[in-house]
Amino acid sequence: MSYPSDHTSPPDPDDFEHRLARKLEAREAQRAKQNAAPSGWALGLRYGSEFFGGVIAGVFVGLLADHFFGWSPIGLLIGVVLGFAAGSLNIVRAVKSMQN
Amino acid sequence: MADTNPIKQFEIHPIAELSVGGLDLSFTNSSYFMVAAVALTVGLLALATSRATLVPGRAQSVAELLYEFVAGMIRSTAGNDGLRFFPFVFTLFIFILMGNMLGMMPYFPAPDFHGFTFTSHIIVTFALALSVMSVLVGFGIFKNGLKFFKIFVPSGVPIAILPFVILIEIISFISRPVTLGVRLFANMLAGHILLKVFAGFIIMLGSVGALGAVGAVAPLIMVVALTALEFLVAFLQAYVFAVLTCIYLSDALHPGHH
Repeated sequence: MSYPSDHTSPPDPDDFEHRLARKLEAREAQRAKQNAAPSGWALGLRYGSEFFGGVIAGVFVGLLADHFFGWSPIGLLIGVVLGFAAGSLNIVRAVKSMQN
Repeated sequence: MADTNPIKQFEIHPIAELSVGGLDLSFTNSSYFMVAAVALTVGLLALATSRATLVPGRAQSVAELLYEFVAGMIRSTAGNDGLRFFPFVFTLFIFILMGNMLGMMPYFPAPDFHGFTFTSHIIVTFALALSVMSVLVGFGIFKNGLKFFKIFVPSGVPIAILPFVILIEIISFISRPVTLGVRLFANMLAGHILLKVFAGFIIMLGSVGALGAVGAVAPLIMVVALTALEFLVAFLQAYVFAVLTCIYLSDALHPGHH
């Protein structure tokens, strides 16, 4: 590779190509860094909170149903199961959004 | 020996007692830091934009950078329509960011002189998340009418299991504010406890003689590294909160685009 840094010699046509290639390389590296998978800690916390949120919301809805319709404890039981389903759905959505 | 209780930092002390009809509305250190965050943000932004020039100076370019950052975030997640939520998202982002950053200061000109992170209390983050959800539902119904409820009905589901799926979708929707609030809260709480635990090791080791003092260098290095990490987390969590707000708000703009 030639690096004509002094401006006395006529510009080398290859020089531009080299500089461009280096710039592109740097940009690719930066992009790869940005697209790198997030750390395990961040991922775990993300999926954990997604699932946790689903279960909590399910329990909340179940307890509400128990309170207003007097279904205790059937509402809570169904709510927990549906909450698990909703939590799993949340995780699937989170993974999908991260893959895009 | 100094107090090494890692969760003492989250205690709430009333600064000015106030009780309205049996409700405790005291002005606490948490309220103090919220007011400080708002005052600092408004003050700094007003200062930065007071002498606006065509070629921005240092302060002005930071303000413009913030604007461009949040505007770009909204455009990329909710589209150009989403820009009508710009004031809301910008306020949320700056408020959380400022709160997280103020929490990183071990000492602060507050009544008892030590820092406090109001985002490490779930009631605060949950209230912020609920405000997002009320804007989502309110604006969604205002703009789309009953079509808004399409977000609970995924397309292409057999009619036999549709009620079941709708129920799960509704619970999934209710879980959004919980997730949004819990994520910010958990990150701030865990990070600050971790910092204080390692800082506590330094004091414990340092108080057992010369050998301990030498050993205390290891947790000291850890605390320095963790502090840097915590600054990153403080910014990242404000960003994540704002991005998720944008994603959720785009549901209100275009229901049924999953």
